[in-house]
Amino acid sequence: MGDVGTVRRRRNADKTETAEKSVSEILQRAIKAESQWEDKDDFLDVVYWMRQVLGLLMGLAWGIIPLRGILGLVLFLVVNIGIVYIYCNSFQKIDEDDYGGVGEIIKEGLMTSFATFLVTWIILYSSIHGH
Amino acid sequence: MLSDTLLIVFISICTALLGEGLTWLLVYRTEYYKKLKAEVEKQSKKLEKTKESIGESSEKSQKKKIERQEERLKTNSRDLSMVKMKSMFAIGFAFTALLSMFNSIFDGRVVAKLPFVPISWIQGLSHRNLMGDDYTDCSFIFLYILCTMSIRQNIQKLLGFAPNRAANKQSGGLFGTPGQLGGK
Repeated sequence: MGDVGTVRRRRNADKTETAEKSVSEILQRAIKAESQWEDKDDFLDVVYWMRQVLGLLMGLAWGIIPLRGILGLVLFLVVNIGIVYIYCNSFQKIDEDDYGGVGEIIKEGLMTSFATFLVTWIILYSSIHGH
Repeated sequence: MLSDTLLIVFISICTALLGEGLTWLLVYRTEYYKKLKAEVEKQSKKLEKTKESIGESSEKSQKKKIERQEERLKTNSRDLSMVKMKSMFAIGFAFTALLSMFNSIFDGRVVAKLPFVPISWIQGLSHRNLMGDDYTDCSFIFLYILCTMSIRQNIQKLLGFAPNRAANKQSGGLFGTPGQLGGK
């Protein structure tokens, strides 16, 4: 029974190691220019998470400055979409057709990023300038 | 006001984790669901490879092959959605009750100041049950919805419960809302 437990623990440790290795692998590919993306989902995941971080950072910045109104909303969309576009076309130089067109990449994670941005913007603005 | 805002974020995180936890308990850990999900992922990858290798070929037999694979994938994706749907209804009822409880706790309270004036058809939500005409006053329900949209989706992604993209493209989801039912 002890042997079965040891084998199971070793298998779980291997699985975790593989998962961690693949996350760091993907991260390395994400920061290296013109990387090869065999699994298209990996690249789209990178775009997704990059967008979430962008949304968070812009929400923080817009809330602190502060930016208000339609300007803040429009600027978010322009900067968010612009950075993703530049990352895909100029940095990674991916073939958009592999992903179903530039629209699919632009859409990836955009709504969630917008929600993240709004929440952060509202919280920062409300706490610093809301009184 | 800040304490209210942070409390709402915390409530959103807890309900998202609870929702995913319950869904895992009732749906994700069942053998049938795991088998269906693996089948859908396998079929969607196979379909993508077939489309890539066949390319723009106009041969009838090739097109028929793709159509057959798409149909199989659509059927399995629909079955996957059906398995999730039953539990989703049950969880949905529970969370609706939870939401009404929180709604009544925060009723009439301005939980945050919006840095923008929402468009008119959103004001009904953002200014719900609040006094006065200042539409930059934010109600509980608006902030909670925004938090849930952000937090739930990211939690699903982090835990690996987000739906497979290729399968989503084929089926469009039962209600056409990818990412809301969970299940990578």
